[in-house]
Amino acid sequence: MMRIILDRLYLFSGYAAGAFLVLIFGIMMFMSLGRQVGLNIPAGDDIASWCMAAMAFLGLAHTFKRGEIIRVGVLIEQVSGRKRWALEIFALGVSTAFTLYFTWYAVAMTYDSWRFHDMAQGVLSIPLWFPQLGVTGGLVILAIALVDEMIHVLKGNKPSYDKEPPSSPDEFVERIASGGGG
Amino acid sequence: MHTDIGLINLSLILLGVLIAVLSSGVWIAVALGLIGFIAMLLTTSVPIGSVLATTVWSASASWTLAALPLFIWMGEILFRTRLSEEMFRGLSPWLQWLPGRLVHVNVIGCGIFAAVSGSSAATCATIGKIALPELEKRGYDKDISLGSLAGSGTLGLLIPPSIPMVVYAVTANVSVLQVFLGGFLPGFLVMALYSGYIIVWSLVHPGKIPPRDPPMPFRKKLSESTKLIPCLLLILGVFFSLVLGFATATECAAWGVAGALLLAWWSGTLNRKSFFESVMSATRLTCMIMFILAGAAYTTAAMAYTGIPAALAEWVKGQDLTPGMLALYLSVMYIILGCLIDGISMIVLTMVIVLPMIKQAGLDLIWFGVYLVIHVEMAQITPPVGFNLFVLQNMSGRDTFTVARAAFPFFLLLIVAVFIITEFPKIVLVLPHLAFPPG
Repeated sequence: MMRIILDRLYLFSGYAAGAFLVLIFGIMMFMSLGRQVGLNIPAGDDIASWCMAAMAFLGLAHTFKRGEIIRVGVLIEQVSGRKRWALEIFALGVSTAFTLYFTWYAVAMTYDSWRFHDMAQGVLSIPLWFPQLGVTGGLVILAIALVDEMIHVLKGNKPSYDKEPPSSPDEFVERIASGGGG
Repeated sequence: MHTDIGLINLSLILLGVLIAVLSSGVWIAVALGLIGFIAMLLTTSVPIGSVLATTVWSASASWTLAALPLFIWMGEILFRTRLSEEMFRGLSPWLQWLPGRLVHVNVIGCGIFAAVSGSSAATCATIGKIALPELEKRGYDKDISLGSLAGSGTLGLLIPPSIPMVVYAVTANVSVLQVFLGGFLPGFLVMALYSGYIIVWSLVHPGKIPPRDPPMPFRKKLSESTKLIPCLLLILGVFFSLVLGFATATECAAWGVAGALLLAWWSGTLNRKSFFESVMSATRLTCMIMFILAGAAYTTAAMAYTGIPAALAEWVKGQDLTPGMLALYLSVMYIILGCLIDGISMIVLTMVIVLPMIKQAGLDLIWFGVYLVIHVEMAQITPPVGFNLFVLQNMSGRDTFTVARAAFPFFLLLIVAVFIITEFPKIVLVLPHLAFPPG
């Protein structure tokens, strides 16, 4: 039950990130076309920037689970078995600790914005905590995903970001071409 | 907390930690953040956590960066169309007469696709999907077709739009548009070098290039090529809106997405499934890159507290390095790094320390962006880690080192290109200066 809820959480926040991408596209097109006919969205560029931040962080947990957040694999792929497991625990431990620390301060930043009624600087003066929620929310979900993964690997399972080898060359090419850093 | 441990010791500690965590498989973005954290812990009493949160927030809520997911999405949409077949069929009738014949399809096809895609592996896979089996069927030498494909795929990075150029422009705080414009002419230069090499190679090895295909009536040739027109229109549209300043880079990216959607719809490959997949794929790639950029933004801020960047700049000043010598040293470093890590990580990992040096040496930042991207191109085709090698290894069934050996001449040609643009920086700067007159 817990498993299903968590997996849904990562997946749906990934979908939310995708929706923000489409939204950025919509805003840009509307601004670009609207300018021709004298229509404009007030502070459209601010809204697009906030969407950008929300998109980048909301999708992180989903991207992490899919194994598409990159790391240097040359060395770690040389070892296997017990040693590999220990390295994975180390990498996960460092990442989880850092992400929890980061998340804590992001929550604090958003809470401060709310407490002190910080307003966005710009044409559209809205409370700053609202757009910050995207980044903070994304980090909270990523932190949950990391803790979840840590427990999963500590129990002796294979990390879920460690993808199965592709079944066909086509699949491999597709993965590299659409997921790699190049 | 505040201790004085000396800059050299501090730098060594940071470098040691970085190498240790990166090699034990810690995600690159986290490793960058960790370095920033340790640097601040050792040198300042400023509240680390709040600096981290606020820098990342202001770095990621950025209007310029919004171009990144859109350009990525544009590439993802086109990757799922039939452009690959159309490219081969449209280009091949026109290239039969050149020495090297259809091998040039690799170069020109990749060059065209590069102008709509910002990724090297995607360019390589898209063109290779059809060109590789077609060339093999006709009996072309496998090394030249693999090598030229690996090399030409990297044009995806040099010819705008380009993902690493956006990453560079954001980290170096320069205009994305200007770096894009700087990439066009060097892109043509690299294409010319590649095609020139293929011509010379096939004149030296006449037995390895099969005879031409049966001739085709002129009208047939034309009708085969008409399928390329929408793609060319898309490129021209994006190019002119950049040069003439109709649109900002971000708006231009949105128009690119609109054009790509239209093209996919027109070719009948746009459906709910492919649309959804392109969105999610672009989202994941963006998140990955943004996470690294967030880590890099924080490290840059943290490093400023340590005084290391200023000391490096001072050191460069003391060395009396000419810009050319500095470029040479950096080239050696980037080629070695490029063997081990991917291009985007290479840019963000080095920017913090390299940027103050090149500013001090008086190198143009737009020029340096293009120079850096050519090194990222080399990184794509140098073993053991090179994404184009991985793609071709899987498409051709040969091992990485065979593909790498086939790509080696093209790697050398990229070095030649670096020499040429270092000697004649105008090649890079003429277009950006045309669109944005300096001073």
